[in-house]
Parts: sequence; structure tokens; C-alpha cells
Amino acid sequence: MVRFITRRLGQLVIVFAGLVVVAFLMSVILPGDPGRAAAGRNATVAQVAEARHRLGLDRPLLMQFGHYAARILHGDLGTSVFTHQSVLSDIRQVLPSSVELVVAGMIINLVIAVPLGVLAAYRRGRPADVVARLFVLVGAAMPAFWLGLMLQLIFADQLKILPLSGQLSFGVDVRRITGATTLDALLEGNFPAFGDALKHLILPAIALSASFIAVVARTVRSSMITALDSDYIVLARATGAKEWRVVVRHGLRNALVPASTILGMQLGWMLGATVLVESTFNRTGLGAYMVTGVLQNDLYAVIGSILTIGVVFLLANFAVDLIQLWLNPRLRPRRRTSAVPLVTSPAPAGGVS
Amino acid sequence: MSTPADRAQYGQNLLEIRGLRVAYGNSRRDAVEVVHGIDLSIRPGERLAVVGESGSGKSVTARAVLGLDTDASLSGSIRLGEHELTTLSRRRMRDIRGARIGLIFQDPLAALNPVMRVGWQIMQPLIIRGTGKREARQRGIDLLGRLGVRDAGARFDDYPHQFSGGMRQRVVIAIAVIAQPELLIADEPTTALDVRVQAQVLQLLDELARERGMAVMLITHDLGIVAGFAERVVVMRNGRVVEHGDVDSIYAAPKAEYTRGLLGAVPRLDSDPDRELATVAPDWDAS
Repeated sequence: MVRFITRRLGQLVIVFAGLVVVAFLMSVILPGDPGRAAAGRNATVAQVAEARHRLGLDRPLLMQFGHYAARILHGDLGTSVFTHQSVLSDIRQVLPSSVELVVAGMIINLVIAVPLGVLAAYRRGRPADVVARLFVLVGAAMPAFWLGLMLQLIFADQLKILPLSGQLSFGVDVRRITGATTLDALLEGNFPAFGDALKHLILPAIALSASFIAVVARTVRSSMITALDSDYIVLARATGAKEWRVVVRHGLRNALVPASTILGMQLGWMLGATVLVESTFNRTGLGAYMVTGVLQNDLYAVIGSILTIGVVFLLANFAVDLIQLWLNPRLRPRRRTSAVPLVTSPAPAGGVS
Repeated sequence: MSTPADRAQYGQNLLEIRGLRVAYGNSRRDAVEVVHGIDLSIRPGERLAVVGESGSGKSVTARAVLGLDTDASLSGSIRLGEHELTTLSRRRMRDIRGARIGLIFQDPLAALNPVMRVGWQIMQPLIIRGTGKREARQRGIDLLGRLGVRDAGARFDDYPHQFSGGMRQRVVIAIAVIAQPELLIADEPTTALDVRVQAQVLQLLDELARERGMAVMLITHDLGIVAGFAERVVVMRNGRVVEHGDVDSIYAAPKAEYTRGLLGAVPRLDSDPDRELATVAPDWDAS
């Protein structure tokens, strides 16, 4: 067990190193001169050269990389030319709000996709299956930003049951503790504000999760079909178990093994996809921060955001590895070897190898 | 449907199948019938072998008894004691499964849930009927020990992949018999096992059936294991019963040509090694 975790952690470090290299190369290759961006739009040639020297951009590439890597390991992601603050503290400001959105999107994803996938598998080929598949396909086919606009149009503008945008209604105030509005309201014990923040979270979370639901529902459906066709399901029925128990306890536990892999990766993708949603709903967050960074040619802010998403991605996948260890006992190291005879056997020789 | 005379004649039977037809398919029109009206019966505590080649309908019959194929349409009659199983409600059928009829499968690896502990799986037939966890666990461990698993208490919390093939089949047997059914349907219980383990498992089934007075319906294509185990034999082919009778009389003087062919296809230690083994020709008349 310890070896398994150590090995996964080792892989984590290697992938992170790769991520740093790619992020660095992006800063070199991408158009836009960070020196000019740092010096300002109206800077003279001399001022730009001075900024380039200050940022170390006039040194050889390899040295630049060493410098860059050392800075990242110290938690220094550079300074944003737009906010004039360190990118790390900027991200610390906006990330909790995005995480809140991703968690909400993930909950919607799970609550809709898993039961839908199970239902589609259980009623495969019948109308319920067709409707379920069509439903998730429509969700996946709509671009997140367009779906966001449509949701705003229907639920905020026409039905007026949910707020249009933002994170809290006007006049509602929550002290910043973690940065995630719903959590802060809850920590403060301010339940009306919690409800208000939750209402603001619903539409963006739906818009964010729509395209992810299809993937999970289809994965669950296909692995559930495999599970439901297997002998152990027939055997579970033959013991007299109710269908619910057969499908959920016996079938779904098996079908969740492949689904958990997808879900782990989706967590990272979703954080990246906040780019498409946060601006539409006028929320603060990593996605909105990245959009601003790109528009302002703020290279360090963009790279810092990408690195953050990468790290979240890596951590989520590490968590999935641990979850799979629990879900799938075959991944765990064997406790025993079969060298010891395991059978008190009626046959003369005894022992089954 | 049965006359009083029938009931008197077969009344002592535990399981009685009369004119059973099994068809698959969605509509009546394109349904394919695979079992064409078979009769068979098992008395309490009796060992019956159902023999036939692949596709003869023997497994389909077994599944029909337990109502396990939801897309199969059944006609005819399957009686277990006082219950008519073909028309039983789903809820009543669940009460029969596991508690009155146990099932063993061919491939013990596929038959066990890979992500659940074997103990959990063994306890299921008791747990779902409201037995307490502690009692179910104790009965499970006792049974696993009786089935020859050494150190059953410690092995109870292992997973199927930590067991060898023969051991897994013991776990499957434990699941099938823990709720003390009167009838055990063993669908090719030894086919996936190596020869020595086959003998162990068969002997175990034999002992268990005697101890508990449990009837066994052994479904197999292997005539070699029938003689030492069953009292009566039903030979099936193409969804029909071609011959039935005592195991001794069928081995000594098979009436149906198909049965003779089947017996001729089994190599024997005392037969002439130069003699070619018979094959069961596909065009033989099924009746």
C-alpha cells in the first residue's frame, strides 16, 4: 500500500516537472513580449530593454528556465502586469470561488449522470434508455457559454426564479473567510446569505456541468451494462435479492471503477472550463481571471492559472487513485501467497495450488 | 391443469416440470423457442443429472426454474411443492430464490462479485431475509469451514481474487446453500475446474446433499461425473428430453441412439486404445 502511494507520488512529481517545462516554453514561444507588457504600452525602447533585463529575459534560455523553476518552487509565479500583485496572491483570491463552482458542477454532474447511466443500462434499448441518451447528448452538444445565456434568459429573465449573475444579491454581504461565498456564509452562520449564494450558484453550475454529464452517463451506462450482464449479477438475483440491491450494491460498485477515472480528470477539465462560464455569469474565479489575463496580454497571470489548473488536475487524479484503491480490491497488494495450502481437502494430497 | 391422479402420482415430488416451453424474443411472431415441452421431476433429497451437449436447453431449463431470464417467455408448468413458479409474482419468486432453490454456476470467478468480500457475498441470502449480521457471519464462517476452507474466519474477509478456482467454487456453493434450500441447481459446477478439484467439489456436493437432505439437479455435459453422483439421468437434446431413467439402466442399456452416441464419446480406461471415439452426429434425430 505504502509502495503504491509512494510510486504515485513520484509520478506526480515527474508530471509536475513536465508541466513546469511546458509552461515555461509557452512563455517563450507565445507571441507578446513580457518585457514590453511589463514596461507599459508607451515605454521607450530603452525602458523596454531595462524591463527585459530586470525580468532576466536577456539571459540564455537555460538560465532563464533555471531561474524560473527555482522561483516556482518558492511559490513565486511572477507579478501580474494588470493587477500589479503577485500572481499567487491573485490566484489565492479567485481560486476558492472557482472551486466552489466546480464542486457544485461536480455534484450536479454526479447526481444526474450516474442515475441516468444506471437507468439507461438497466432499461437498455427501451424508451427510457433512448430518452436518457438523447437528454445527455443535447446537454453535451450545447456550448457552455451559450447554454449559460439560455439559462439566464429562461430562469432569470423570463421566469425570474433565479438571479441573473454575480455571487450575492445587492445588499447581502458575507465576510471573506475562505473566498468561497457559500462556505463563508455557512461559516458565518448567515443562512439567508447562504441561500442567496446558493441560488447564484445554480445556473452557472448547470451550464458548467452540462457537457460533462454526457461523458459520465455514457461511461456509467457502458460499464453498467458489462456489470449487469455478468454472472455475479445473475447469482445475486438467484439469492433472492431485490432488484435495487442487485443493481446498486452488486452492479454499481463495479461500474464505478471506470467512472471514477473519468470523474477525476473531469475535475481538472471543469476548472479549466470555468473560463467559459464565469464571464457569462459575472463571477470572480480562476476562469474570469484567465480571460482578463489573456485580454491584457498578462503572460504570468495566464501561466500561473494554467499551472494551478494543472496542479489541481494532478491532485484530483491522485485522489482518484486512492479512491480506486478502495473501490477495486484487485489493485491492492496481496496479503497472502498461495504457498500455504488453503484447503483442508477431502482429496488425499490436500492443498490446492 | 393436473388431474387428481397426476397429483397423487407426482405429489411427493419436490420439483415437477410439465410441458415446459421456453422462448426468447420480443414479440410472439419472431420468438425463438429453445425448449420444446419437457417433463422432469425431482423427489426430495434426490440427485438428478440433466445431461446434454451445448445448446440442448439444459441451462435454459435451470434458469427458467428460478425465473432468472426476464426476456424469456415460459409456458407449461413448473411446480415447487405447493407453488406454481411460472405464474408466481416477482416478490414471491424472490422468496423462493436462494431460500428454497440454490444455484451454482459454471465459472466461479465470474460468479463472484470481484469488488465485494467473499464473506459479504456468502451472508447475503441471510442478510436480505433479516438475519442479524453477527449470526449471519457466524453461520457463514461455519459453513465455509465445513466446505473445507482452512482458517475460514480469517479468509471470510478476503476478496474473490485472493482465492484459487476450487476455493472460489466452495464460496459459490456456500452462497447457494447457506439459506438451506431444499433444491440445489448445479449448472456445470465443475467444468471450469481442473480434474482433481472437480472430484473434490463433487464429493463435497455429495456430502452436503446427504447431510441436509437436499435435492440436487446436476446439469452437465460430462457423463464421466454423472455415474458416481446422480441416481437418475435425464438426457436432453435440442430442447427435448430424449431419454430418462435410472443411472444404472441408462449406462447399461441406453435406449436412445443419441444417448449411445454420448456414452460412446467418453473415453474409458478399459476400452481398446485403437478404437476411435464416437462423435455425436448433428443430424441425428432428436426424439
